[in-house]
Amino acid sequence: MMQEQAFRFGRAQHLVGIAGLPSPAAPAVVGVIVLNAGLVHRIGPFRLHVEMTRRLNAYGYPTLRFDLSTIGDSASSGESQTRKQQICADVGDAMNLLGEQAACKRFVLIGLCSGSQSAHMVACSDPKVAGAVFLDGYAYRTLGYRLRYYLPRLLDISRWLRVLPGRRQASSNASNEPAFTVAPLPQAVVRADFAGMLDRGLKLCLIYSGGISRYFNHARQFQECFGRVVNHPGVSTGFLKEADHTYILTGDRNRLLDSVERWLSRNFPVTADGSS
Amino acid sequence: MSTRSEAEMPFYFGPERALFGLFHASGTSARKAVLLCPPLGQDQIRCHRLYRQLAQALVAEGVAVLRFDYYGTGDSAGDSVDMDWQRCVADTVVAADELRARSGFDRVFAFGARLGASIALATVAQARFAGVVAWDPVLDGRTYVAKLDAMQLALCRDEQRFMVSRKAADAAAQWLGFAISASLRQQILDLHVDRPTVPMLLLDSLSPDAPRALSNSLVDAARTRSLQPPTPWDDPRRLEVAILSHPLIQAVTQHVREAA
Repeated sequence: MMQEQAFRFGRAQHLVGIAGLPSPAAPAVVGVIVLNAGLVHRIGPFRLHVEMTRRLNAYGYPTLRFDLSTIGDSASSGESQTRKQQICADVGDAMNLLGEQAACKRFVLIGLCSGSQSAHMVACSDPKVAGAVFLDGYAYRTLGYRLRYYLPRLLDISRWLRVLPGRRQASSNASNEPAFTVAPLPQAVVRADFAGMLDRGLKLCLIYSGGISRYFNHARQFQECFGRVVNHPGVSTGFLKEADHTYILTGDRNRLLDSVERWLSRNFPVTADGSS
Repeated sequence: MSTRSEAEMPFYFGPERALFGLFHASGTSARKAVLLCPPLGQDQIRCHRLYRQLAQALVAEGVAVLRFDYYGTGDSAGDSVDMDWQRCVADTVVAADELRARSGFDRVFAFGARLGASIALATVAQARFAGVVAWDPVLDGRTYVAKLDAMQLALCRDEQRFMVSRKAADAAAQWLGFAISASLRQQILDLHVDRPTVPMLLLDSLSPDAPRALSNSLVDAARTRSLQPPTPWDDPRRLEVAILSHPLIQAVTQHVREAA
């Protein structure tokens, strides 16, 4: 039986989203909202967001996957706002919709790449956000990153022999590759943002993939980037080294979904009466 | 804003409301409607923006449009591994009827890209299409399957994507991000599209070195138009880059406008 409902909603009726509502309705359960990854519409890369929301529905969480203003099937609100203001207002509209449909008052935001950036923006300021899952979110090349990246290459003579003659070609190819990037906030700002979120009681989950090895290459790098914040009991981290940035292989997607589901059930458990 | 919200309405329809659709209402001047049949797999995601732009361009011509997702794709019910050719054909028939019911127009044309075009062509009689616009349709299933298999295998060794190469087993029974069943694979291998019984416009934007089914009687029967630049359907470096084409939108809207 189909549990999902399609909505056009928002302050200008400009947003399109799909709500997954567990049956029977479970008041007070935290609602999960999945944000656009880049310009991919709400189904997510390779349908990741569909698989994620349906799995969480089966576990008892109401969900909403939707398109932010001007992405996917959503239009502009017609307001004169910065992108940050738009995103905060759009996610606010999404929380209102899911709150009306599923009677939940608190929300967990999930975002991959630029979606993580959007989730970060909203989680910084909106009191209705109870937690966030940042997939390939903010990260910085640390000393540890550089050592792990360069040392093996410097010591690999066969690599030197192989790379040097083709250096010009390799370099030109790299510059033409599409780049997956999150325009970074300064490291100190992100650290302070995380600390502020944790002070407000938010639960945070950072899951990074091997697909961002240009700037993140080891689980230890969470600590190198964000310091003591990652030792806070409200923070979970995971590094899925084998996976690529958009989880193109079904096995990798399933491992990611297992991680998200475990984190949610640990931090926002669905009880027998449906509450969390 | 209220006009837009009324003009583009998302909804579920069909048996058990399993199919997602987005209806673009129009004025009544043209008395025509177009069903946009999506391609499958990653092509569907890459074409999503273009399909929306095409729908809006057609609405501006007074044409009603329905975009929809087959079972097991997009926002429709079902897992990706549930994609099935016969189900896609059946869903297209249901969608055509839904478009007739919502628009009030009986005269429905179909547009499709790649396998979406193949599905539209295979559904002409059942869905009672008045005409078909086929953009780079897949006419040779064996060549298409071989290409997808080769791209999937190459994916495992893509150093830009993975920190460490992946085993072939990790990528088995999938095509470029989507689980596929043995039956869908066989259905596409056996793909055969009959000569259309309605007017057809074939839009060709394949790269010059891409294999074409030139001897196919279907191609012989169609009015063909080349589009430039070539569409990078099979370029692994652009696997997650949207496909956009203003020439395509212009060609389709012009054709629908002029269709008798």
